Amino acid sequence: MKKTSNSVRHISSNPLVDRIKSLDRWWLLLIIVVVLIIFLISFKPDPYLRILLFARDGVWVTFYTTVISFFLVLVIGLIGGLGRISHNRLINGIASIYVEIIRGVPLLVQLIFWYFAFPSLIQDVGDVWNISAFSTYKANPLLMAILGLTFCYAAYMSEVYRAGIESIPKGQMEAARSLGMNYFQAMWYIILPQAVRVILPPVGNEFITLLKDSSLVSVVAVADLTRRGREFMAANFIPVQTWVMVALLYLVLTLIAARVVNWLEKHSRYER
Amino acid sequence: MSAQPIIHIENVHKYFGEVHALRGVNLHVQPGEVVLIIGPSGSGKSTLLRCINHLEEFDQGHIIVDGIPLVTAENINAVRAEVGLVFQQFNLFPHLTAMENITLAQKVVRKREIKEAQRVAMDLLEKVGIPEKADNYPLQLSGGQQQRVAIARALAMNPKIMLFDEPTSALDPEMIQEVLDVMLDLAQEGMTMVVVSHEMGFAKAAADRAILMDEGQIIEEASPEILFTHPKHERTKRFLSKVL
Repeated sequence: MKKTSNSVRHISSNPLVDRIKSLDRWWLLLIIVVVLIIFLISFKPDPYLRILLFARDGVWVTFYTTVISFFLVLVIGLIGGLGRISHNRLINGIASIYVEIIRGVPLLVQLIFWYFAFPSLIQDVGDVWNISAFSTYKANPLLMAILGLTFCYAAYMSEVYRAGIESIPKGQMEAARSLGMNYFQAMWYIILPQAVRVILPPVGNEFITLLKDSSLVSVVAVADLTRRGREFMAANFIPVQTWVMVALLYLVLTLIAARVVNWLEKHSRYER
Repeated sequence: MSAQPIIHIENVHKYFGEVHALRGVNLHVQPGEVVLIIGPSGSGKSTLLRCINHLEEFDQGHIIVDGIPLVTAENINAVRAEVGLVFQQFNLFPHLTAMENITLAQKVVRKREIKEAQRVAMDLLEKVGIPEKADNYPLQLSGGQQQRVAIARALAMNPKIMLFDEPTSALDPEMIQEVLDVMLDLAQEGMTMVVVSHEMGFAKAAADRAILMDEGQIIEEASPEILFTHPKHERTKRFLSKVL
């Protein structure tokens, strides 16, 4: 892309065109999407502004469901990743089984399990053991959705961590241990800071995928952007306008996320 | 020489799967002694060195370092804090500056205040001759400079013993001397050193004892002058004829 802009530069004389060409793809796309939304809600407020106002709390739900889940994914994924590289057979076995099971079951099925089956299981346990707090347990949709997303994505993330940690030369761990650091000190101060730089691109990718997959929580009673879209469509019967607007709102979120990931990658490189 | 050896290696065996890498090695190093280990590649010299701070587990025998037997995890960490190791590939931490490379373990393991750790680091960088490189990252340094930072990093822990695993083998020829000079200074200050290296100049100038290893065993040991000029064993002669 840069090559094209260079070769074209001497032809175009318009400074504005040059400026737009020097912007990278992400900015351009984001600006186009935002301008399009503004255009739609200004010139066709009915139905676009109505859709936006109806769905905006859904945008917020989608955003914080994703961010909270992702934070938990980073923590649990790290534990899973350390488990996957552990020489302890029990720990390694548990981590491996966890990853294999999660990877083999569709996310939608997992979310439905957490929302419908898990609370029912808890209630059964409460009935058998006579624990009233369990018997009367009711699932909080948002909590179950976050649990479902977290457990699924943490499994994938643990593989990302594992690959990142394994990419750091063995001598780094040896040097740290030979200075008297224990395993966890060496991991924390030496291996992980280097591994994080290696895995930033796939981690950013996971975040954006999670953001999009979070639309699946709409089937387990979470009023996210997708569910708000469905509600609006059911009440107004204008599917095209509704889903154009929903898609544009998702695009804004994913484009901003891609931008942040890109910025982080650029600012985390060390001198080589 | 004092009666109590600071490194006590007794009948150590080590297997890598089917390969019998160390076959009953006995070695005693006195405080302040500089021991040079030579031998063909695959002879087990690096493995033996790495056993001394338990980077390599051994399968049989005993190693006692400064009165601490290498048995429990606590003991092993205690020994590692007493023993500095310098690697062939330097193994500096690339995400930290030279200064941070030297201060990190002081803070984390020795629990020193940051100011104190930095003062120690600066003194050591001056000792190895590159104080102006304190804020550089390892990959901005030449191989010789990196290895000198690695030596300073090990010295910052105030080790009683320094182990060198082919410290100059990965260096360009013109950088070897600057690293050897630092090692010579250390030897003169009375540091106990075990060095795996084929640098004959260093051996003659600093080593009290030279050891030839082959096929996981110590074949011959003597003062460097005698070992290099009048070796007794056929295998030593054969090896030296290839190296010298």
